[in-house]
Amino acid sequence: MNPFAISILLILAMSTFVWFVYQKVMLLSSLGKEDRLDNVKARISTMLTIAFAQKRLIGRKKERPSGIMHAFIFWGFLVLGIRTITLGGEGFQMGFHLPFLGQDSIIGYLYLALKDVMEGIVLCMILFAAYRRAVTKPKRLTNSFEAWFVLVMIGTLMATDLLYDGARFNLIQIYESQDIHWFNNPAFGPEYLWTPIASLFAWLMSGLSETGNVIVGVISYWLHMITVLTFLCFLPMGKHAHVITAIPNVFLSSVGYPHTPAKKLDLEDEAAWEDESLGVNHIHQFTWKQGLDLITCTECGRCMEVCPTYVTNKPLNLKSFNTSLKHELFDNMDNIIKRAALEKKLQQTEDEAEQEQIKEQMQALLSTKQLVGDVIAEDTLWACTTCRACEQVCPVGIEHVPRIIELRQGQTLMAESYPKELNVAYKGLDRNSNPWGIGYDKRADWAKGLGITTMAENPDVDYLLWVGCAGSFDDRGQKVARATAKILQAAGISFSILGTEEKCTGDFARRAGNEMLFQSMAEENVEILNGYKITKIIATCPHCLNTLGNEYPQFNGNYELIHHSQFISQLIEEGKIKVKKSVEGKITYHDPCYLGRYNKIFDEPRNIIGSIAKEGLTEMPRNREESFCCGAGGARMWMEETIGERINVNRVQEAVDMKADKVVVACPFCLTMVDDGIKTLEQEEKMETIDLAELVWQTLEKHEA
Amino acid sequence: MAKVLVVADIKGGALKGSFAELVSTANDLGAEVAAVAVGAGVKALAADLATGTKTQYVADDASLEKLTAAALTAAVVDAATQFGADQVWFASTEAAKAAAPRIAAKLDAACVTDITDVQVDGSQVVILRPAVAGKVVEKVEVKADKVVAIVRAGAFDAKEGLVASENLVELSTPEADLRATIQEILTEAGGAVDLADAKIVVSCGRGAKNEEGVALLKGLAEDLNAGFGASRAMVDSGFMPHDSQVGQTGKVVAPSLYIACGISGAIQHLAGMNGSKVIVAINKDADAPIFDIADYGIVGDLFEIVPIMREEIKKVRS
Amino acid sequence: MNILVTVKNVVDVELNIQVKNGAIVQDGLQYVMNAWDENAVEATVVLKEDQGASTELVCIGDGTATVAIRKAFAMGIEGGLLIEDEAIKNVDSASYAKILQKVYEQGDYDLVITGKQSQDTDSGQTGILLAEFLGLPCVSNVVTIEAIDDKNLKVTRQADGNKEVIALQLPAVITVNDSINEPRLPALRGIMQAKKKKIKNLDLSDLGLSADDMAASKTKVLEYQAPQSRGAGQKFEGDAAEITSQVVNLLATEAKVF
Repeated sequence: MNPFAISILLILAMSTFVWFVYQKVMLLSSLGKEDRLDNVKARISTMLTIAFAQKRLIGRKKERPSGIMHAFIFWGFLVLGIRTITLGGEGFQMGFHLPFLGQDSIIGYLYLALKDVMEGIVLCMILFAAYRRAVTKPKRLTNSFEAWFVLVMIGTLMATDLLYDGARFNLIQIYESQDIHWFNNPAFGPEYLWTPIASLFAWLMSGLSETGNVIVGVISYWLHMITVLTFLCFLPMGKHAHVITAIPNVFLSSVGYPHTPAKKLDLEDEAAWEDESLGVNHIHQFTWKQGLDLITCTECGRCMEVCPTYVTNKPLNLKSFNTSLKHELFDNMDNIIKRAALEKKLQQTEDEAEQEQIKEQMQALLSTKQLVGDVIAEDTLWACTTCRACEQVCPVGIEHVPRIIELRQGQTLMAESYPKELNVAYKGLDRNSNPWGIGYDKRADWAKGLGITTMAENPDVDYLLWVGCAGSFDDRGQKVARATAKILQAAGISFSILGTEEKCTGDFARRAGNEMLFQSMAEENVEILNGYKITKIIATCPHCLNTLGNEYPQFNGNYELIHHSQFISQLIEEGKIKVKKSVEGKITYHDPCYLGRYNKIFDEPRNIIGSIAKEGLTEMPRNREESFCCGAGGARMWMEETIGERINVNRVQEAVDMKADKVVVACPFCLTMVDDGIKTLEQEEKMETIDLAELVWQTLEKHEA
Repeated sequence: MAKVLVVADIKGGALKGSFAELVSTANDLGAEVAAVAVGAGVKALAADLATGTKTQYVADDASLEKLTAAALTAAVVDAATQFGADQVWFASTEAAKAAAPRIAAKLDAACVTDITDVQVDGSQVVILRPAVAGKVVEKVEVKADKVVAIVRAGAFDAKEGLVASENLVELSTPEADLRATIQEILTEAGGAVDLADAKIVVSCGRGAKNEEGVALLKGLAEDLNAGFGASRAMVDSGFMPHDSQVGQTGKVVAPSLYIACGISGAIQHLAGMNGSKVIVAINKDADAPIFDIADYGIVGDLFEIVPIMREEIKKVRS
Repeated sequence: MNILVTVKNVVDVELNIQVKNGAIVQDGLQYVMNAWDENAVEATVVLKEDQGASTELVCIGDGTATVAIRKAFAMGIEGGLLIEDEAIKNVDSASYAKILQKVYEQGDYDLVITGKQSQDTDSGQTGILLAEFLGLPCVSNVVTIEAIDDKNLKVTRQADGNKEVIALQLPAVITVNDSINEPRLPALRGIMQAKKKKIKNLDLSDLGLSADDMAASKTKVLEYQAPQSRGAGQKFEGDAAEITSQVVNLLATEAKVF
């Protein structure tokens, strides 16, 4: 069209784009280190399902319309990327095309057709998106200028390309000329036969004169190119950076998700205590991947919509959590880059005076804002139940929970600032290895008279039954422990317990950021477990299960963990225990976060209920991957919940609304929380909560009688 | 014959019942018994002090209204010296706990607190007292000639028919120790007893249901001059203030008597009160876990039980 | 202001304690810092933070007490003495007070803070006796401390049914009640630093005392007995008036709480 004009445009746009990207790359490379290039095969697979197949956008029923909208816009972008290059080429030479995509190949025609239909669909999707933003206004969306601007730009891109094609087709008609470049192959026919949408646009403009069509064509072309290049430069600046970063962000997301344990901190590192680098206290301490997460966040608000704290009116709003951190990151961009350079220099220099000087300079480059306090409110940080519902729905694979735990570590280890209610539980753990502080010598009292052996008495067994603190000390938990033990005995399973040698796994301490207490619990437990050469552990508590199975390998403790729901389900399947479909009423099941989302155990509990409930299982609206937390995870069990509605009440209301008779749980925390919720809603007469093991044992008894 | 000096426990201008218990037991052991009373206006109690005692030492002065441990010590040491006491007995009070060790030091005597029993065998005095938070009983041998003892409430019984022989000896008013002077005495208003300090705690749970239930239990707490606590449910529902919450994430209390009303006894609550010496539970649900740790459990509706309880307590106390 | 605070390592009273042949069965027991000493340490650290007081602790015990000492360091106490001697065994409070007296006299202190009693003996005498031996004023069962200046404190003690506000001149001894404060947990950073802190070890001869001084103990524990068990809890069901009356009477006669 105009090689000179397009050259100027391209040089301007590309240099701006490269500069912005360079800045961001510099920023990310100045953040903390992290290896995210292992296990490429798994990464590719995640990338294909989450990014390219848009699983979390179209996979969720509730969000399907907007998910489909986004997926088509995304796929449209993929298809139109090629078209954009072609159009750029046309700036230099009319009729430019990429190899294989010319009129001499069917591929060229197929691409034309695909591109054309895609443009039409994307245009419709843009209209739908605008309708949502303007009319239906979902709560999770913020109507920003940026959002509208981008919608308009995308719409412009689609429309201008279609108008450009339409004008071209009209001119071809008018001139019946071969001079105007277009596809026209004897075998495949003329271009317009393949491009219905562009033909429609041509038809709409058919009333225009020759000059009119020329003007529309030329304006459309330049408007399209200017928009493309503006869009390109605009991308790295705002939330639409995800157009560039989402695919790599998904590729680089944690492979072990959701099992990945928190980072094991080196607490013996004196320098780390000195320079406050344990946990995250300053923005530069985030890793480059965490930085990429922040840049990638599209502020779609799905995380906040499923978050139990947001739903119950607590201050944790992950969308603004991310945005606040992102602003802090960008505000400190120059200082972070300078600081990283100084750090490198510091490592190279031997001279002590110079080291001191560099340290001083580095200190001066720290953000004046406290990450927790000024950027993120304390109540916000401590509200999280670590339920991971947010991560389950995030379309770009942002990892929120590890970041929250690292911030809590910073608060606990460095700032000594955390909710004081935790002290009672910490002290209990420190002295008597359970959060209530009950004498450790009473840990095995629940098992009295049941003929259960301890490992000390009988180490030659197939399984260790890990009882957990609730099973050991809590009146209700003890009933679950007894039911589980009796089922195992009825099935003739060979097992022992650790008795008074068992200690809290330290789950809640780690979730609360008290890495020191967690590590001491882990080391002590691993020593005992390895001392008995234990390999297989049955646990009734999903928190114990998760910690023992996924986090103790960090401490050289490698065990096969089996949740009691898995084990009982298998016993039923193998006919080792005989159950009868005898449980009356409407039975629903509450997925514990640490069993479901954390360990993907969804089916076994349902199988058990299916085999003992007369009416089968009735699901609550929020179930499986999108189950709603009971409110006790993330050490929340040991803190007060004073802001907003209580999470457990919100969950129990769901069961009340569906008129459930029994809410079956598989976690001692859930048991306590759901029970409490039932009492708060004064539903004790109509509804009860019960652990799977208790329920199975009841049916076994009936069966025997 | 051993000489026992019993220190009078005076409250609100009256001699407390513990005095008769101590005097009775000392007489039973065949000791020669004297009494000492220190305070403002204690002379008026001379006749009461004479019951079962041969001599009554009194230090009576307006300045002793604000009685410091040092002043009490000086007066009792004075009396003990005049009397030639082998043993000085106190009833268990804060004043006694503050003064007894000082008196022992000044008399070069042994000091034993919180005793539940005394066995005198010739010259050997053996004392029983609980230790390790009441989890063991120590049998203690007194190796000194003299002993100052604090007797646990209710350890001894009072007997009728003690002979009174009035023989009043006035002690000189002890000089004030200016290094530690009482400036003010803060009396605790009824009903507003600090949970942490309270000897008795009445606690309300979900079973109290509403304002009416809370008011009823508050009445019981006031009757007993007890602290008034709550389980989390009552705090959450706004019936009770946040600082009244007893439990894992609230206050941890260990009073002599804990009365749990309408509290089922979730472990989160137990963690805050299972150190209490005596636990009474009132709950409708006979299977409630609170009954597992309660010393005295009443299965019933607190709306029915508590009014009766208040009446019964008044009867017992009068 | 220089403060000396006492710390004792005692058996964890959360545990069941068994008595056999007149002795406490040691198997399975664990030892922790005396709860009232935690309050004393907290009160001391608060004075350090608010008044710039210098702080030192003294502990009479054996090597196992270093855990409690390091915990106090981690809470913020600056220096520590451990008095360890074979002769300190089954001795009375006065003997402990005698040792503390020597510690006090060897140092330069303005204030001694102790817990009001220790959870193992439950005697509540040591701090008061120490003051007596030193000829210092003493306020026991203290629930608030307010520093007026370098030489004067205003303290409140829990008395019988009321509280006494006392003007106290230093040097003095204070014993604290558990309602005085909520002891902080050891700072995690403090725990790391406390590992490296030096504990000064002394024995009786370093303090100018001898085994004879300990043998002069005026009381001696002959043996331990299991307490008379009140038995399992009693549960009353039936006529409301009847069972309530029954329980109230038992509270008065058996439990003796009224």
